[in-house]
Amino acid sequence: MRIFRFVVRRLLQLIPVLLGVVVLAFLLVRVLPGDPVRSILGPNASAEDAEAARVRFGLDKSLWQQFLDYLGGLVTGDFGTSIQSGNSVGSEMALRIGPTLELVVIAVTIALVVATVLGVWSARRANRLGDHSVRMFALAGNSVPEFWLGLVLVLVGYSILGWFPAPNGRVDPDTNLTPITGADLVDAVLTANGPAFASAAAYLALPVLTLVVGVVAPLLRSVRASALEVLHSESYAAAQAHGLRGRTLHYGYLMRATLVRLPSLAALVFGTAIGSTVLVEYVYSWQGFGQWALRGLLYRDYPVVQASVLVIALCYVLVFLIADVVHAILDPRVRL
Amino acid sequence: MARSHRSGASSPALSRRGVLQLGGSVALLLATGACAADSGNKPKDGASGGPAAKTLRIAVSSYLSSWDQDFVGFDLTALMLYKNVFPYLIDYGVTTASGSQILDTQNVTPTFAESFQPDAEQKVWTLKLRRGVKFASGNEMKAADVKWSKDRAFAAQANVAGVYRTIGLTSADQVKVVDDYTVEFHQAFPSALTRQIQAISLYVFDSVEAKKHATASDPWAKEWFAKNPPTGGYYNVTKANQGQEIELSANTDYPGPDPAKTPTIRISVVPAASNQRLQLQAGDVDIALGISQRDIQDLKKTPGIKVISAPSNRQVAIQMSVTAAPFNDVNIRKALAYAVPYEQIISNVYGGDARAAKSTVPLDMPGHDDNGYPYAHDIDKAKAAMAAAGRSSLDSELVFESDNEEQQKIAVQVQSEAAKAGIRLKLTPLDPATLGERRTKKNIPLQITSGQLWVDDIEYMLATSFVKGANLNYSNYSNPEIEQIYEKSHTTVDTAARNALWKRVQEILAADVPWVVICQPNFNLPVRESVAGWVQPMDGLARLRYLSASA
Repeated sequence: MRIFRFVVRRLLQLIPVLLGVVVLAFLLVRVLPGDPVRSILGPNASAEDAEAARVRFGLDKSLWQQFLDYLGGLVTGDFGTSIQSGNSVGSEMALRIGPTLELVVIAVTIALVVATVLGVWSARRANRLGDHSVRMFALAGNSVPEFWLGLVLVLVGYSILGWFPAPNGRVDPDTNLTPITGADLVDAVLTANGPAFASAAAYLALPVLTLVVGVVAPLLRSVRASALEVLHSESYAAAQAHGLRGRTLHYGYLMRATLVRLPSLAALVFGTAIGSTVLVEYVYSWQGFGQWALRGLLYRDYPVVQASVLVIALCYVLVFLIADVVHAILDPRVRL
Repeated sequence: MARSHRSGASSPALSRRGVLQLGGSVALLLATGACAADSGNKPKDGASGGPAAKTLRIAVSSYLSSWDQDFVGFDLTALMLYKNVFPYLIDYGVTTASGSQILDTQNVTPTFAESFQPDAEQKVWTLKLRRGVKFASGNEMKAADVKWSKDRAFAAQANVAGVYRTIGLTSADQVKVVDDYTVEFHQAFPSALTRQIQAISLYVFDSVEAKKHATASDPWAKEWFAKNPPTGGYYNVTKANQGQEIELSANTDYPGPDPAKTPTIRISVVPAASNQRLQLQAGDVDIALGISQRDIQDLKKTPGIKVISAPSNRQVAIQMSVTAAPFNDVNIRKALAYAVPYEQIISNVYGGDARAAKSTVPLDMPGHDDNGYPYAHDIDKAKAAMAAAGRSSLDSELVFESDNEEQQKIAVQVQSEAAKAGIRLKLTPLDPATLGERRTKKNIPLQITSGQLWVDDIEYMLATSFVKGANLNYSNYSNPEIEQIYEKSHTTVDTAARNALWKRVQEILAADVPWVVICQPNFNLPVRESVAGWVQPMDGLARLRYLSASA
């Protein structure tokens, strides 16, 4: 009940935060130099044509009126119309969020598991060969740019070995997967399409690996440091001295105490991973949210930029909310 | 997507054991590789397994932004697709030049239409439709479809409405339905451009189908057209997986000459040029439309791949703002024209694969004059021109597209040589939106431009680039005599008379030098050796119906 009240309170606090994001995104995109209308007109369009396009997209109205229209649309769930494509921004976004979330959620989940297992394992073997190897891996993961790593993985995994499909999408079109959520693995399960599931998994392997290497490093270092702290603590030494079973020591004392910091860090890493998808999606032709938002920004497609900023902000605050709740569950000292 | 059977040239070079030695990250790769292995073993139904392949695979750099040709942005992938999937009632023929097949801009012929002819005054053009031509919906293509399509184009006030102005079509009333199979276009004046302008504008929507999706707030069914591929062109769109792949099937009901040769074309989206190259080498795609110039040079030596090369009318230039200092002084413009290292750019940027400019009018365009651009790299003459302007040095900005490697290289080389003549250039890469805005405001002193005209005619070139208010006239150039010639050219349809006008135009441009014309790069396209039938388009928009692939 306490957690429920906490969640409701935090959700209510989101309203002013998101309103602030809406205002800032609306203003900042208009401060940027660049004319969205010129980019959609052919080379023969005249000033009159440009004016007609401005009227079509409501860009001839005062800034206040545009903002009020935008806000009114948001209240009814209307994100506006893309200047580049003429499509509803909401429907375009719905197509692209699923693929990106699938990629990020899988990558962050794998990274969390790998970081936890390797971090604790490494701490228990501190300053031995295994520990040095894990630390080297973390250092490399921190240093390698995702874009470069992606290209190398394509070269090795697709071109040299031929084990992975060509980097040209998310699922083999011949499997005739019916899109529902946009997340292909989920859609394959929902439609019971086995070949599509296998194909989507194959297409996911390299982009997920690219993201995992990028995000696992900070998690790994944090888990190792936390585990070392616990292993050197008096409470752990006391528990050991009382002759508790290894399993009890490991799960009851070491793991629980080690993982306390992880939710907040995982939330941060989740945000970083969403940012990293822009380049990862480019390398793997993923056509997800990142590429869509980037194109929107390049062409000053105002409704697209506004919607993408709002959704990223929403993802961030929700993930941090989840992290706080998980933190409270792991650490009873936390008051909600 | 199904993987290909690999050719020898690109078969795995490392054993599994060898790969294990690559280190930790590759070990992870090995762990996840098993689940992907199956997808690599599917036989390709493309360029193998028969005398003529049924499927051709093409890689492009981006997915199209919309299927609605009237309301689309300037999106080259979309525009190329439209040429192949919308029914264009008339189209260019094909001719041979220097051993290459090219679209014949002097020969516009009916395709879906039966005929397109002018009256004696060349002001009223009559379009006659073939009977029995059907859209994929089963609806017959009729005059009402043409009228609805043109009404929509005028309402959109964008692409077609803009280009129609050049031939005196400015309102929907000028398009009249005579009967079910006849439409008249009443131009305000006769024009030698009519056939070419209509060749790029006379595409038709299935209006019966469209009206089912129109609403009071969306009378032109924009929302529906943006998402639903058109039908009835040389190809029909069989599948469109958003962001990933588009499958085209040859329209077997196409009634005109030169039907599509390959039954199925699969167009996959591969944004990274390096990945396009890898897929081409692996045989997973047959044609790569987004490979970088540097990769193309390497691919020329790669087994299994050939690079189709053809002279193109794409022109690379530096437009100078003639209305603002310092380039409002013709001597300063001449100084820059002498300072640019033309041959060095052709050699270093294009590997010699470009033609030197002889005129502001592109080489090969009817009416081109070899004396139209009398400037060559000569630093002494550049200094002399600076002295004639009373300057020993000046500072300016040179703007180019931020994601354009070719323009960046050119900018660096121009900067280096111009400095020797006292012209110090600050290089400014700009993203598309900022570039568009600054072009509208006409506040760029120098900018690198690159492009080819969709209509191979000097009148069209003047309309788009050299008369007051023209949209590609970033120089803000205006010359009273050229304005007069342009007006006169509207009603001049005799070829000899037009050529006389064009000769004078080039003399004026040579004297006024509003552009530094750098060169005309050749068109290069890397394809698998099995690909044949490429026809070089003068507008850069590939015509897929001529393409085929052998086993």
